[in-house]
Parts: sequence; structure tokens; C-alpha cells
Amino acid sequence: MKKLETFGIKPHDASLKNDGQKWSIMEKLLLGLTLDQYIGQALRNKLNWLFAIIFAIGIPVILYRFVFSLGAVTHGSYDYPWGLFLGFGLFCMVPLSASGFMLGTTVEIFGRHDFEPIERLALLNGLLGYFFAVVYLLVDLGQPWRLSYPMVYSFGPAAVLFLVGWHVATYLSVQVMEVSTAFFEWIGFQRGYDFIRKGTIGLTVSGVILSTLHQGALGALFLYAPGKVHPLWYSAPFQWILFFISSIPAGLCMVISVSTIVIYTMKWRCDKRFIDNLDWITIALAKGAAMGLSTYIIMKFIAVAHDNEWAYFFTGWGAWWWFEMLGFVILPLAILSYGIRHKLVGLCRIGAFLTVFGILLNRLNTALIAFNWQLYQEIPHYLEIIIAITIFAIYIATYRFILARLPILYKFRSQAEE
Amino acid sequence: MVNAGKHLMTGLGVLLLSAILAVSCYAMDYPDEVEIDSLANLYEAVVFDHAMHVDATENCSECHHHTTGSGVANDYCAKCHDGKEEMDSVACQDCHSADPVSPENLHNPKPGYSYHNDQPNLKAAYHLNCVGCHQEVDGPTGCEDCHAKTEAGEKFYHSGEFAPKESAHSSGH
Amino acid sequence: MSKITRRKFLAASAAGGTAIMMAPTKKAFAAGSFEGFPDGMGVLVDLTRCVGCRTCEAACNKEQQLPEPAKPFDDYSVFDEIHHGQKRRTTDKAYTIVNRYELKDTEEPLYRKIQCNHCNEPACLTSCFVNAYKKTPEGAVIYDSHVCVGCRNCMIACPFHIPAYTYHSVLNPVIKKCIFCYDTRLKEGKPPACVESCPQQVMTFGKRKDLMKIAHERIKKNPGKYVDHVYGEKEVGGTGWFYISNAPFEEAGFDVHLPKKPIIDNVKDFLAIVPVVLTVWPALFTGFHLLATKGKSHGHGDDHSHDEQGGH
Repeated sequence: MKKLETFGIKPHDASLKNDGQKWSIMEKLLLGLTLDQYIGQALRNKLNWLFAIIFAIGIPVILYRFVFSLGAVTHGSYDYPWGLFLGFGLFCMVPLSASGFMLGTTVEIFGRHDFEPIERLALLNGLLGYFFAVVYLLVDLGQPWRLSYPMVYSFGPAAVLFLVGWHVATYLSVQVMEVSTAFFEWIGFQRGYDFIRKGTIGLTVSGVILSTLHQGALGALFLYAPGKVHPLWYSAPFQWILFFISSIPAGLCMVISVSTIVIYTMKWRCDKRFIDNLDWITIALAKGAAMGLSTYIIMKFIAVAHDNEWAYFFTGWGAWWWFEMLGFVILPLAILSYGIRHKLVGLCRIGAFLTVFGILLNRLNTALIAFNWQLYQEIPHYLEIIIAITIFAIYIATYRFILARLPILYKFRSQAEE
Repeated sequence: MVNAGKHLMTGLGVLLLSAILAVSCYAMDYPDEVEIDSLANLYEAVVFDHAMHVDATENCSECHHHTTGSGVANDYCAKCHDGKEEMDSVACQDCHSADPVSPENLHNPKPGYSYHNDQPNLKAAYHLNCVGCHQEVDGPTGCEDCHAKTEAGEKFYHSGEFAPKESAHSSGH
Repeated sequence: MSKITRRKFLAASAAGGTAIMMAPTKKAFAAGSFEGFPDGMGVLVDLTRCVGCRTCEAACNKEQQLPEPAKPFDDYSVFDEIHHGQKRRTTDKAYTIVNRYELKDTEEPLYRKIQCNHCNEPACLTSCFVNAYKKTPEGAVIYDSHVCVGCRNCMIACPFHIPAYTYHSVLNPVIKKCIFCYDTRLKEGKPPACVESCPQQVMTFGKRKDLMKIAHERIKKNPGKYVDHVYGEKEVGGTGWFYISNAPFEEAGFDVHLPKKPIIDNVKDFLAIVPVVLTVWPALFTGFHLLATKGKSHGHGDDHSHDEQGGH
């Protein structure tokens, strides 16, 4: 893309062409480039080659899973019924996608319209995260074609998973609607755009409700397994609060991380508004994340104190707990705080990446590593790892595809502004 | 082998009948052999060498609680019975029902026998008694040390000619 | 102005209202503290009697028409099998398993039969989001595999590591576990196949409340023989199958740290906040919105007007 820019070619970013004609969908899909130009830039992109390798191996493995059963790509463990697909795909993707409801709330509920440049990125991050969490779920479920059963056929309303299922499903549709404004803009469907915008407050409020509940509910799922999850990662009264609180820095730091990657790799797609505002927004988001992290740390220690689990600190598991807390919660908090204080955007970004890893580690610890701590450790099957990586690669590819097209990082220039 | 079943049935009848008659008439009169067939489906009936066990044990009460008139070995029984009197019921099956324990007969098998609750059924009474003692005195304890498996038994246990074929992959865990 | 405000408030409340309809309020609270059906059946397992003959495993295999075992049921080498440092466990092909445990104080090993304990308030049941599980008045925990989606949450929830999954089925993978021979026997008042087959009457079948008395009587009648504890009387809210043993239960591989309350009690705190969030949040956040945007445009649909605020 950079190379094309030097030739004076600009990507499509307005509803009408400079000569006043409408863009066709095909032209929009090709970003306003000719087919040759498009293929040329795609082939020059090294990430595409990496994706090609991953997909060439991974997609057949995914098909293999559906043709030869879940048992063919996992260890089919009775003791670890939830492997990487849920441990990573569901439990990590969902908190990292909490950005949607938080920025939605900031902008729409609290009226902080100065955060608008990042709002759509946050909403999209939420939508895609949830969507791919569901994709991971579909790969993991024994009978994915029965996914709708808890919705329409057989209700188990006392189950936490029922709550998660319903809320993820409804929240996903809420997010589709929230992001659809960008899509309607892009295809030029003004009436749809207006219709959705009218319901923004309702959508945002339901987003907050649903998020509060299912972020917490993901934690509450482990309350079914007292004794299986190591006590340091288990707390009956606080589990849902810990999961909910930690989803706040998780979502915010994910937006910082994504925006960082975007500003370094897709700057051509960002408009001036986004680029100019990103630095202060990054620091502002970092502030939110830092506050979330400090609350989280306090809650973590309250949870340990409440169940009087101090003795576990002196075991191997205690060391592992400290590794997670020091390296991926306290250290990023320190980095973020320093970065915020001295207005160092770069430090805030490093802190954000660390926080994201911290959330990954925490969720994997709860769901897999410290799960069945009294039994044995299970290392996932290599095909399971390949599938998990492949779906993540599809996630990134989709993310990039949408960012490159829809007005997420840039604002559509309307004809009046021309 | 041809007439084994028939022989067993008649033999069993005669033996058990004589056993009951014998023990109820004279105190120290007992059958030399008892044929036991409560598992006769999976295993061949067992011919129990009673005479040998009489020689091997010190006192009839070790197996027969307080019913043989030769004392009482179990402290629990001793609370009521001194074991000096020979009872009408001495054979195992007189008290221990061949029917499996059911919710109905769980508590008191007969009216008035309120301390005789929680009785094992006949099959269990044999095994608990035999195996328990065999473990202590290093007697045979394996199933087929006493029982010969029938074809139905081999099928049931998937053993012998019904054993699983050597498969390349095990069943996992 | 006031008109817009009210409409927005209603819109937000309606969104919350729809969410309320999906809330798991009714059943969650109705769950209360259920202590099992009064006439539910149970099984008393006396570990002192088990000699490890595996006849119950064979009987279960036959009754439930399970696939052929990897080894004959009279092959005792299975007691030495170790997977991931663990003894055998129930699988989708074996609903009951006998394991051998070496004890500290005696030479004699202890054998323990493992199968579904048919909890009074089963964790599997309460964790299932399609309500596939059912605790029958007869005491069995059964399940309807026709609605099983395959989330395997029940396997996570079961404190006894019982439910297994047919991972290798392509089209119809489902949960598999002991159902107390409900379909073929318990429904008609008959004991399960394993109980009936046991030569040692390790297991006694009857009404749970009657058996509980017998369990305590046995402990009392035989001083010094048993550990003074009935495992399953109180554990996780009480189980339909419960155990008495001559050795400390932890030596026989039991989890002695299980809570005395049903597993679902852990989750109730969370379920209780659900209706609160659903009812309070809409009003609260709409209120925040009105406060935060007081005097400003209530802007949306016209968000272009905020473009210039970016500076900060």
C-alpha cells in the first residue's frame, strides 16, 4: 500500500468518487484500486504469505475435525473436557473483546464524544472477538448444529452456561447492530444508518448489562468446579467479580494493542482525525486500564485473604501465581502508571501488550493450567493447537479485511466536505 | 457332561434335603458335602467339602453363628445368644435368602428378629464367610479356585474363547 | 426535550426488559436447598467387602450393552493400569470401574467401585444449559442425550469425575454415564445390574434413608472395623450412593475436601446478582447518560456535530 501511495493512488474513502460518480461494490471491495494493483499489493504483503501457510495446513485440519470427530484432533480427555478451543478461544477472546461496551458507554452514555475516533475500532474489536469466540465454540461443541437448542428447544435456565449462551448471542446481535452503522455508511444505505443510530442508547445500555453479566458468568462457570481449579485461581464469592473487573483492562488494552498495530501497519487507512487523536486517547485508555488493574489486584488479594489461602503462596503453584501477578498485572500497572504520568505513549503501549498477555495467562491458568491441579497436566494435542492458531489467523485476516474497507479508522468524507 | 445338569439338580436336591434333615436331628451330625449352585448360571455348581472344613475349623460357630449348639464366636450375636442350644435352622439358606436383598426385606427378614437386620443374601453370606476366612488362613481366594466358569460365564466376563481380540489400539483411558 | 428523554428511557428499559425475560431467575431460586426425593433409592457401598472381582463391571457392560472391553473382566492386570499418573476412571465404554488402592496400615489392598453417585442435587444437572439431566423420584440421575449439545460442562462440574464423552463419534457424540439402570431396572423397582451381580453384596440397594441408618448401624455394630464416616451422607449435599470404609477415605482415592453443600450453592451468589443487574443497570446507565449529557445535545443520529471536540 505504501508503495502505491507514492504513485499518488489513494484508497476509497468517500461515498462518491472525486468526479461525483458512485463507487460500485466491486470497486469498494478492491479499495478503489484496479484488480492488478490489488493483487500486486496483496502479494507483496508478507503477512499474507504467512496466512497462506497457516491456512494451507490449518483449514484441512479443521475439516478433518468435522469429518473424523473431535476425538481425532484432541486427546479426547475426560478429565480436561475443555481444551484450547474454550480455554483460549472462549475464555480469552471474550474479555479481550470487552472494549465494545466500554467505549460505547464512554461515548454514548457518558457523552464523551471526544473518544469517538476510537469508538468504532473498539466496537469492531468487540464484535470480532465475540464472533470468533463463537467460532471456537462451534469447533469445540460435540454437536454444533445443536447450538440453538438452549435458545429454542430445551432450556436449562439455572445453568450459568445458559446465561452465557443467551447473553453472548444477544450481545453479538447488539454488536452487529452497533457496527452495522459503519457498514451502512460503507454501502451507502443512509436509512439503515439513521434507524440504528436512533436506538444507540438502548443498544449501548443492553450492551453494558449483557457484558457485566456474561463477563462475570464466564468466571462463575468455574464455580461448578471447586477443588478442580487451584484455590489461588478460585474464589466462590469473588470469581465473577474478578473476571468482570479484569475484562475492563483486558478490553481497553486490547484496543490500545490493536490501534498500535494498526498505526504501524495500516497507517494508510487511518485518517488525520484518528492519527492526531490516537496519542491522547491511548493515554486516556491506559488510565482506565490502570484503574481497572489496580482494582483487580486489590480484589485478587481480597479473594486470597477471604479464603485464607496464604499458605499456597509458598508452594510451586504460589510461585506460578506470583509470576502471573508480578509479571503480567503489577508490572504492566507500573509501566502504565509511569507512561501515563510522563505522557509516554510508547510505554503505555508496552504496558497494554503485557496486560493482554496477563489476561491470556490468567484465563489459561484458570481453565487449563491450574485446572485439575491435583490430577495431572495435559498438553494439548498438536492438531488442537494448529486449529486454534488457524482460527486466530482467520480472525486477524477478517479484522484486517474489515479495517481496510469499512469506515472504522477513518471517517467517510461526505460530499458536502469535498 | 451330558447329564451334568440333571445330575446336579437331583444331586443338589438330595444333598440339601439330607443336609437339613441331618443337622436338625442330631447335634453333631452334618453333611460331608454341600453342593452350592446359587451362581450356577455363570459358574458350575460348587461342591463344598463340609467335612474338611469341619476338621479345619475349631468351632462350628465360626461359620454358623450361634445355631449349632457349640457356642458363639461373634460378639454381636453373643449379646443375646449363648449358643448352647441347637437351633432348628442351621443351614445357611434357612436364614440367608437366596433372593437378592430388596428394599422390602432390607430391615427385618422375619417378624420378631429385629436384631437380625442387614442380613446378607445367600450368595453374599457364602462369599463373605468363605473369602473372609480364606484371606486370613491363606486359603484359595480367586474366583476360579472354587468355581469353574461355564460358557455363559466366559461370555459374561469376555474371557476364554470370548476374550477380546488383540486390538492394535487400546481403549485409551 | 422531555419527550425525547422519556422515549429514550423507555427504549433503554425495554432493552433491559427483554433481557429480564431471559434471566434464569425462576429456577435458580426455586432450586433452594433440595435434599433429594424422600423415597429416592440409593445404594450403600461397603468397601470392606469388595474383593476386586470386577463382576459388577461385567454386569454393567452386559446390562447397558456397552462395547467389548479391551481386556477380559477377569483380567486383574487392569488394577495396575496408570494413565497420566491416575488410576482408571469411568469412560464412555465403562460406566463403572473397580480400582485397587494400597493402604498405609495394612497389607490387604482396598478395592473401590466407582460409578455415578447420583447426587441429591447434581452438579451436572445444574450446569446443563439444555436441561438434559433429570433427577428422578426413584433417585437416579438420568439424561436425555437427544438434546446434548456437547459443551461438556457437566464433565467440568461433576465433583466425582464421572461423565464421559464419546469424543470419537462424528455425528452423534454425547455424554455417557451410569444411569442407575433406570430404564431397564430401577423404574420397575429392581436393583441395578452391578448390585445384583456382586457376590459379596458390597452394595446394598434400598431407600436412601433406610440405607443411611444401616450404614451407621454397621459402623456402630462393628467397633474398630470402620472409619466413623459415611462418605456421601453430606458430601456435595448428599449422594444417592454412599460409602463406608475400613480405611481413611483419602487413602481410597476419595476427594475428602469436597464441600458439604451442593455445588450449585457456590454459583447462587452469582445467580442472585443477575436480576439485580438486569433491573438496575438500565435505569442507572440511562440516568448516567442524562446527567452526563445534561445541557448538551443528546446527540446521536447527529454525531457529526461533535467532530470538533476531538482536541482535548
